[in-house]
Amino acid sequence: MTETQPKVLVVDDAATVRMYHSTLLTEAGFEIHEAANGLEAVEAALGTAFDLFVVDVNMPKMNGYTCVETLRSETVGTPAPVIMISTEDRPGDADRAYAAGANLYLVKPVVPARLVRISRMLTGRGVAA
Amino acid sequence: MGLVRRNAEPEPQTMGPGDLLAQLDDPDPDRRREAALGLEAESAVEVLLDRVATEDEPRVRDAMLTTLAAHDTDAVAAGLAVHLASDDAGLRTGVAEALASMPESVPAIIPRLLEDPDHDVRVMAAMVLADLQHPEATTWLTVMIKDDPHPNVVASAIDALLPSLGPEHTELLERAVRRFPDDPFLRFTVEAALR
Repeated sequence: MTETQPKVLVVDDAATVRMYHSTLLTEAGFEIHEAANGLEAVEAALGTAFDLFVVDVNMPKMNGYTCVETLRSETVGTPAPVIMISTEDRPGDADRAYAAGANLYLVKPVVPARLVRISRMLTGRGVAA
Repeated sequence: MGLVRRNAEPEPQTMGPGDLLAQLDDPDPDRRREAALGLEAESAVEVLLDRVATEDEPRVRDAMLTTLAAHDTDAVAAGLAVHLASDDAGLRTGVAEALASMPESVPAIIPRLLEDPDHDVRVMAAMVLADLQHPEATTWLTVMIKDDPHPNVVASAIDALLPSLGPEHTELLERAVRRFPDDPFLRFTVEAALR
């Protein structure tokens, strides 16, 4: 039996970051979709049931915190886990991420194996190694 | 954030700057937004700079930033740049977008931003330079890649430089990887950029 690949939406305005996270997670067996800002992410989430969101903080048009709040709001209402990843490591950044509805806050750069391990754990899927 | 399109300006009205300043206190966000878009006079700059950090309605703040960015003066650039260090992600990214649309005044503050002790501010400076229409923008990004001591800043500068990258940047990028040999993201970024 072929198991469905977990769908992950990678949200970042930086093309290289999207490519980096997408490559890591594709190689780990996830199905990757991309969005360049929070607005695109919300639009994508309205049309697709993602299993995981990987969201940057500093983005034009809609920042990551607002994006996650919208994903959790009645507008989208997704229960899927959210990992926020940012260059910001000021005191309180993680608290703001959790208040917005994120499940985990990581500071860039993220160690590849850690991102894969956490993504597998949060999706609870038997992703091929 | 999103700077407001000019065709989204309010209908012409006869209110003076004093009335519009008073309207910034209106409890209705649409009224505050209308006031912010109408306050084009130079005399309103100081008030808008004061209020942009405390306005908590994103569409009103975007309107303030749009009006301020249209001035493109040294005072506005300096007044907005301090918010690149804000704890409010919406404010700092909105300010970065506004500064990127101010090619007359922002170049003067770039050297200071590149020397800011807070690496998060320097990351935001790369975000500004990514969209700043100025002939020196590429040079500043190159300096960041060459000299900045923080790998996240270097990676942000590389991403901002992507549309302008050419063979002449190969050595610069390879040197960046050598400066941060333990950073897998930077290595990936450079390899992707060189493809």
